[in-house]
Amino acid sequence: MSAQVVQVVQKLCDDYVKTTPQKLKIIDAYMTYILFTGIIQFVYCLLVGTFPFNSFLSGFISTVASFVLASCLRMQVNEENRSEFSEISPERAFADFIFANLILHLVVTNFLG
Amino acid sequence: MSWLLPVALAVLASSCFADRVLVLTENLGIRDTHSIYLGSIKDRGHQVLVRTADDASLALFKHGELIYEHLIILAPGVQAFGGSLSPKEISKFVDAGGNVLVAGSSKIGEAIRDLAVENGFEFDESNTAVIDHFNFDSSLDTGDHTTIVVGKDQLINAQLIVGDTTKIRPVLFKGVALIKDPSNHLALDIVTAASTSYSHVPGQIAENVAVAGKKTLLVAGLQARNNARIVFTGSVDMFSDAYFNAFATSANPARTAERGVATGNAALVSAITQWVLKENGVLRVKNVEHHRVGESQPPPREYTIMEDVEYAIEIEELKNGKWVPFLGKDVQLEFVRIDPFVRTTLQNKNGRLSSQFKIPDVYGVYKFSVDYRRVGYTHLLDVRQMSVRPLWHTQYERFIRSAYPYYASSFSMMAGVVLFSIAFLYHKDSAKVSVEAAKKKH
Repeated sequence: MSAQVVQVVQKLCDDYVKTTPQKLKIIDAYMTYILFTGIIQFVYCLLVGTFPFNSFLSGFISTVASFVLASCLRMQVNEENRSEFSEISPERAFADFIFANLILHLVVTNFLG
Repeated sequence: MSWLLPVALAVLASSCFADRVLVLTENLGIRDTHSIYLGSIKDRGHQVLVRTADDASLALFKHGELIYEHLIILAPGVQAFGGSLSPKEISKFVDAGGNVLVAGSSKIGEAIRDLAVENGFEFDESNTAVIDHFNFDSSLDTGDHTTIVVGKDQLINAQLIVGDTTKIRPVLFKGVALIKDPSNHLALDIVTAASTSYSHVPGQIAENVAVAGKKTLLVAGLQARNNARIVFTGSVDMFSDAYFNAFATSANPARTAERGVATGNAALVSAITQWVLKENGVLRVKNVEHHRVGESQPPPREYTIMEDVEYAIEIEELKNGKWVPFLGKDVQLEFVRIDPFVRTTLQNKNGRLSSQFKIPDVYGVYKFSVDYRRVGYTHLLDVRQMSVRPLWHTQYERFIRSAYPYYASSFSMMAGVVLFSIAFLYHKDSAKVSVEAAKKKH
């Protein structure tokens, strides 16, 4: 049983390394970084308390929103989803990503306190 | 004759401040039998007018204004008032702020009984009397045991209404019983009967007694919601010179303190009358101020949450015809926004009651409210409205140490976007690992 699980995971990793384009790997690395930043903040809030609650919210929500935006970009530039996003070019997807990030970080800075 | 005018004006001016009291009687003989009582009212500066209760020219209002401030009815037997007077008219008089003192007796007429009902009390039937076979006065009683001796424990515990109860001497009472309506929430049991007393026709065997024991009221009163005062007593005799000058001789062997002492009728009746005529127990607000601690003026528009605020109210009490500082120590201030958010007892410093408190961390429209209700005092209510606003955007605390990780995270997210963009834009797929190529391999 456990051997099978190990086998499946092994296969998954191999396939990922072999078949995923380099661009998507960059996005994945970026998303992993965001994920860990968010988790660390949440644990810190649990330990220290919610006192500057607005700061916590803006910090935490900025990670969550960044993660969501990155995942959207990843969906749109993925060659496999070309049929679904046929009218959105990768350049257009990136421009949307930057625009959304601009607005997000304006709001975050305002709310940070 | 030119000197007469200033004198007349002076007399008029001095009498303007005294209250006008209308005394209604069954016959004018009461001027002689109750002379001490009527004289004491005059001596305190009131204008007393004695009329018979069936006088056809009686009126309480003239052009919608009160002609008298106070009405004393010492006419228990009257069946119908004269002139425009009626129980309804007297209720209107009370609604307009007039004060009423009513005395009954065993020969009680319908007019007085109707008046009592209008005010939430009921006199027992005509010819009945409060009888007490244990506490009657052995020297004045004629054998019916209706002349009863009232001890100080039967008085209401309110110095403003009955005077100092610790000093008051036994009081003689002869008259009809009073009952209060259970729905009369404003009723004050000023003098209750002893537990051994009951109300019935004297000389008959008591069956189906209307009221007995401590539920029987001898003197009852109320202060209406407009602060008008009304007192009913079952005995017109307790106001008489004869009772004022008598010596009480209680038949109760247990009450030796009530034997051979001069009666306390004069003291009790005068205390009750002073209360009814608003000579004491009247409060008024002289001044109210509130401001931030360290300032002397209230803010022009509103307070901010969490500010320290100082509130002060100056209250005055009417004592012997003069307004003097009120010395009560149980006045409370409420800071109300629908519910009281702060309730604090005010510190009294010679009539200036003040308190400091912190405005809660909740913004909205608040009221500084002092609502003081005590037995014997008029109802004091003072409400000041004030808004409380949240902090301005610039007033919040900045650069809090415990928030540094959040700041770091937010800025790292921004830096992350920049770095990611550079990597993403300048990256070239060297291996050219396309999905199609991968598929072909399989």
